[in-house]
Amino acid sequence: MLKEVFMPKLSSTMEVGTLLEWFKAEGDTVDVGEPIFEIMTDKINIEVESYEEGILLKKYYEVDDEIPVNAVVAYIGDKNDVAPETPTAIEAEDETAATADAPEAEIAENAINEESLDTNEKVRATPAARRVARENNTTFNGVQGSGPKGRIHEQDILDAINNKSNKLVTPLAAKIAADQGIDIAEVHGTGSRGKVVKQDILNNQQPQTEVTEEVERIKLKGLRKAVADKMLQNAQSIPHVTLTTDVDMTRAIELRKALLPVIESQTSYRVSYTEIIMKATASTLKQHPRVNASLIGNEIIINKSINLGLAVAVEDGLIVPSVANVDKLGLADLTTVSKELGAKARHNKLTPDEMKGSTFTISNLGMYAIDGFTPIINAPETAILGVGRIVEKAVVVDGSVVVRPIMVLSLSFDHRAIDGAPAAAFLTELKECLENPWALLV
Amino acid sequence: MKTFDLAIIGGGPGGYVAAIRAAKEGLSVALIEGRDLGGTCLNRGCVPSKTLLKHAEVIEQIKDAKTFGITVNDFSYSIENMIKRKNKVINTLKSGIKGLIKQSKITMIEGYGIVSKDKTVTVTTGNEEEKIQAENIILANGSKPFVPPFPGLEEGSYHTSDTIFDIEEVPSHMVIVGGGVIGLEIACIFNSFGTTVEIVEMADRIIPNEDVDATKFLTKQLTKKGISIRTGTKITGFKNENGKAIVEMEMNNEKISLETDSILVAVGRTPNLTGIEDLPVKFDGKFVKVNKDLESSLSGIYAIGDLIGGYQLAHAASEEGIKAVKHIVGKEDKSDMLIPRCVYTFPEIASVGITEVEAKKAGYKVKVKKVDLAANGKAIASNENSGFVKIIAEEKYGEILGVVMVGPHVTEMISSGTAFMHLEGTVEELENMVFPHPTVSEALTEAAAAWMGKGIHYS
Repeated sequence: MLKEVFMPKLSSTMEVGTLLEWFKAEGDTVDVGEPIFEIMTDKINIEVESYEEGILLKKYYEVDDEIPVNAVVAYIGDKNDVAPETPTAIEAEDETAATADAPEAEIAENAINEESLDTNEKVRATPAARRVARENNTTFNGVQGSGPKGRIHEQDILDAINNKSNKLVTPLAAKIAADQGIDIAEVHGTGSRGKVVKQDILNNQQPQTEVTEEVERIKLKGLRKAVADKMLQNAQSIPHVTLTTDVDMTRAIELRKALLPVIESQTSYRVSYTEIIMKATASTLKQHPRVNASLIGNEIIINKSINLGLAVAVEDGLIVPSVANVDKLGLADLTTVSKELGAKARHNKLTPDEMKGSTFTISNLGMYAIDGFTPIINAPETAILGVGRIVEKAVVVDGSVVVRPIMVLSLSFDHRAIDGAPAAAFLTELKECLENPWALLV
Repeated sequence: MKTFDLAIIGGGPGGYVAAIRAAKEGLSVALIEGRDLGGTCLNRGCVPSKTLLKHAEVIEQIKDAKTFGITVNDFSYSIENMIKRKNKVINTLKSGIKGLIKQSKITMIEGYGIVSKDKTVTVTTGNEEEKIQAENIILANGSKPFVPPFPGLEEGSYHTSDTIFDIEEVPSHMVIVGGGVIGLEIACIFNSFGTTVEIVEMADRIIPNEDVDATKFLTKQLTKKGISIRTGTKITGFKNENGKAIVEMEMNNEKISLETDSILVAVGRTPNLTGIEDLPVKFDGKFVKVNKDLESSLSGIYAIGDLIGGYQLAHAASEEGIKAVKHIVGKEDKSDMLIPRCVYTFPEIASVGITEVEAKKAGYKVKVKKVDLAANGKAIASNENSGFVKIIAEEKYGEILGVVMVGPHVTEMISSGTAFMHLEGTVEELENMVFPHPTVSEALTEAAAAWMGKGIHYS
């Protein structure tokens, strides 16, 4: 019996996955749980495992292809099964629509089982769109419907056939854009019916320097593209304010020294300042729930659980695993969890669940000669804490100059959700908590 | 006082086209014309010259008939009947325009309009004076032949393009002062009529703004027909001796004088400022100064056509008229239209875009390809295979910067080049397109193929 292998939807924002590697060739036998291929999403690289056993009959995509979520990537079946030449189209993404259409979907599933080749059956589309698709011998795969609930209209499929980006462009403008690596889809066309003309491309051009030396060009794709898009989105849409404060780390250092052997013998991990700061942050967030909020649409959601995102630098990118319920974890467990997640992040082994649900993020650059900085908030969170190095500085204590280990904390907050005074109160209390970490025991 | 959304001074190809477009846009329009609807183009320019050129072409064909194995024993023509036919053509077109004006509910006011700063226009017809008030004004006054103050010219008689198309007798000899488009077209007409034509041009070549290859080619062809062309020659004066006119000139310090029985002064045209003499509008040289939206220094007063200089062509004026109307009704039009240029000599010249020299000056890396019509099947069959098609394109993307055509029917063919440029097709698309065979126009795709190094008949 034919079984589809779908492109999994690994996060709410995931729309496409890029195929990185095939582990199986057509004709190979596949067992349940065996990885078939590896994909990269906007957040993670992941191996997609088989839910079925059988023979990999058909692969529809090549390495580097971008595959829409829920698209059929391959078929697994018996050696007598015949897989269709073109993959079946995407199911309705809308979950409510999917529930409402459950009986229809079942029928469609049966149709597939009966090896019907009309792969467009399951998609919402007008009869005219189906006719056009049939006449052009194409499927609705990847076609965005403009009608209600994503129903595909005749024009949608015509646009998809004529030009993927649905944009008119003159031949000359297309040539210049291709040559200069300009994405036509992002150019505003001023010609008739919005046609992109030469001048539009020239207006879109980056001012070029006279020197045309050979430079390395890295295309924004995969994780880099995901980071770029997210940063731009967050930086542009959130009114950031960053507060900084100096923290005297004398007692935190003492605390870590005292706990180091204890935790190491228990977990074999060495507790770091990151965990101590996480613990202090979680404890302070509990007193300041407004800082542990998410801003979604027109609502500020005060999160009950305190899940801390931990920004981890990976090769040419940044990912943020989430440590859940930090306020409920002891330092030993917290150390274990955060070290394991950090390692997984660096080796691209995080599962989507491990990256979901953070309510506040910590970005630690303390290993570099950095004091304060202005971290960018990880939406929909409303605040992020930037951690600098611990460095010995001359400070005035009780009227005399003494040397103390000082660390700068930088708190960026979303001014739509939090005002300056409560944010300052949170940061002040966090500073006090780190300066008197014994309070964490209370 | 009657009020209008728009008053247009001048019913030539700039003014009447603007009037109809404005009416279509829902404006109330007054069109003021003091002389003939259709302006210079219809009455004293493009249309009469093209009509007489057609007459000349028929004569040429009769003369050529022997080449085709046809013997025409004797033929004659009547200049009177020719002028009559020309007037019939004009009247047909003029009543067409009148109909359109009426249909568009445009108020036609006959008489010269005097424009004031407050956007009132005073029109005097005979003893009656009519004053109208307009929200906007388009000055489409046009131009008139420019006659330099040559010594002795006014003492004798001479023609300009205003009078030559109503000539009653075909002269046996004609001196044409000015080797521009007007002078050359008229030279071709009279050359066919049997007149000995001598052209005197001050610049070092005829039609100095046009493509060098084209003007060289035309010079050769005209000379072959028996038209004498003296370039680099300056007129010094006119005299009358024994009822014959003497034209005195100087070339390389050498004095020459020609005896003739008719003179045509065709050195250029000058803006017609009738009715705006007292309007405090800013000028750029002798032309009314306008901005990109064709608005003059006075807000709400626009100027188009020959009055503002640029290409002094009917279709340029029409385009400007439409652009001005678009601005009045608030429709943005940033486009910089390509204006094709046509010379209806034998052979014709048609061009669009910029010349090779201009392209290089503008910093383009230019690649030029020229293919000759000598081997073009349709042209050979018609015994009119002298000419060429030239593509001036930017090297990297194949952007077509200019097209120059010389030969038969090229004024009808240039628009395929213009279309490619207007729609930003490149040499590649031009090479890709299928042209019918046999046609003269297929030379254009041949030129594109040759440009790309893929030429079939040309390399």
